[in-house]
Amino acid sequence: MAIEVSGLSVDIGGRPIVSDVAMGVADGERVGLVGSSGSGKSMIAKALLGLLPRQASASGSARLGGTEVIGADETTLAGLRGRYVGVVFQNPGSSLNPVLSVGRQIELPLKLHYDLDAGDRHERVMAMMRKVGLDASLAGRYPHELSGGQQQRVGIATALITSPRLIIADEPTTALDSITQRQIVDLLVSLVDGAGASMLFITHDFSVLARATSRCYVLDRGRIVDSGQTAGLLASPQVAQSRRLVEAARKLTLGGPDMETL
Amino acid sequence: MAADNGGKKVAAPALAPLARKAAVVLRSIWARGEGRFALVVLALWLAVSLISLVWTPQSLWSTDGYHVWQGPTAAHWLGTDGTGSDVLSWLMAGARTNLLIAVLAVALAGVLGMALTAAMVSRSATVSGVSAVLVDALISIPTVLIALILAVPMGASVAVIVIACGIGYGLNLARIARPQALLAANSGYVDSALANGASWFSVLVRHIMPNTMPTMTVQLSLSAGTAVLAESGLTYLGVGVPSGVPSWGHSLATSVKFIDVYPLTVLWPGLIVTVVVVALNVFGDVLRDAVDPVANPALREVA
Repeated sequence: MAIEVSGLSVDIGGRPIVSDVAMGVADGERVGLVGSSGSGKSMIAKALLGLLPRQASASGSARLGGTEVIGADETTLAGLRGRYVGVVFQNPGSSLNPVLSVGRQIELPLKLHYDLDAGDRHERVMAMMRKVGLDASLAGRYPHELSGGQQQRVGIATALITSPRLIIADEPTTALDSITQRQIVDLLVSLVDGAGASMLFITHDFSVLARATSRCYVLDRGRIVDSGQTAGLLASPQVAQSRRLVEAARKLTLGGPDMETL
Repeated sequence: MAADNGGKKVAAPALAPLARKAAVVLRSIWARGEGRFALVVLALWLAVSLISLVWTPQSLWSTDGYHVWQGPTAAHWLGTDGTGSDVLSWLMAGARTNLLIAVLAVALAGVLGMALTAAMVSRSATVSGVSAVLVDALISIPTVLIALILAVPMGASVAVIVIACGIGYGLNLARIARPQALLAANSGYVDSALANGASWFSVLVRHIMPNTMPTMTVQLSLSAGTAVLAESGLTYLGVGVPSGVPSWGHSLATSVKFIDVYPLTVLWPGLIVTVVVVALNVFGDVLRDAVDPVANPALREVA
């Protein structure tokens, strides 16, 4: 499912958070949105889902698969959310309900969007858990009994169980260690490509982005300041903001010489 | 769209796992010493209530003017009261009245408390604001005062106790559950559920309310204990259980005036009320630990 965003602005209490953003994700494409903390990345994701905070107001246009979502009514949005658009969140620990077993959390979107009996749902949950590399015996466990990586696998399973056409991954690896990060990114990429879905991958970390996306947009203070092929941007960033993000990524993951100056 | 049908359809297939979960919870409570005490006392309470419906050692209405305020004898194990009636029989029959009051008051408090909690975390600023102010304002009215006001049109009755306690404890429950419900409403898992297309109602039922359960179970079992105490207090004031209806409060109220002369007659209902209230308070604590999957690994399902 394609995303077409043009002239998107989000204000919170008159303060501009996102200004005049234009971007696009084609069918089956994996595109990155990168920027430092507070640059408005997550706000764009929220605007795409119609889940902006109450005091925020959005203007401009954002179309998901041809459906305008800015100013759309709840029915239109609820039909898209979870059914055609799956979301993977940043902190897997807090985005799972602590008193609901893992199997039931993965099952919930199926209950909401499909008319299946319990047996069919159980089968699909088990198949999905296998796909994301979770042992079937974990279905009865509660989130606190799982490791961070396993929790994020649950998050991915929940987002993908309804076979959505678009995945919005909002910093899905930020809370994980670097080895787990790589595993989770590779898993996401293979599942998204396997399903032929498209993905908007939001992160502040260029090193993760290179694995997950082919093309990306750089966001700074609510504006798109740079865009292009991820590999090209990573190799020779032209714009100052991109350069800073790339340098930070190099220092962190490649162990640059001057860690003290960070 | 399809998002709204989720709320009702869960009940039927979820029944079997629910029964299994209840068995696990009961076993976890039994595994602890204080849990065993609470379960035994509550089971006895229930058993005696049921037995008293068909059998008591003596008829409640067989009075004997020649043997009033007797100590324990073979015919009257706990002695007789001021009319010569059997104290044990009245206490047994009182168990069912108190059980009925406690159950109904807790049910009413639970429904009212959850409804108010749901209103206070509503996404409409008006509904959440108004309900929060309403709860804060109404909570300043003491339960006894509510009972006294209700007794004006209704007279002394079981309903007065149930409604007064239900309202009082329901408001209290809402106030105590609110922070936890707000925390859940602003949590990542609610964001995640909304992003998955869940309606606010389904979020409320599946995510917010289950996460307030530890607070609710403790608070409701405390309320059950307080309802037993309130019955005694209100009956003593003359706005509770009407005379002639057996209850522990009634047994206390009729004997407490003579505590200097016949202390033993006051002892029995006082002892029962104390033991039952302690059992209910303990029960709340162990129940919270037993139903919380974070605290109780036995709840893990066998997949």
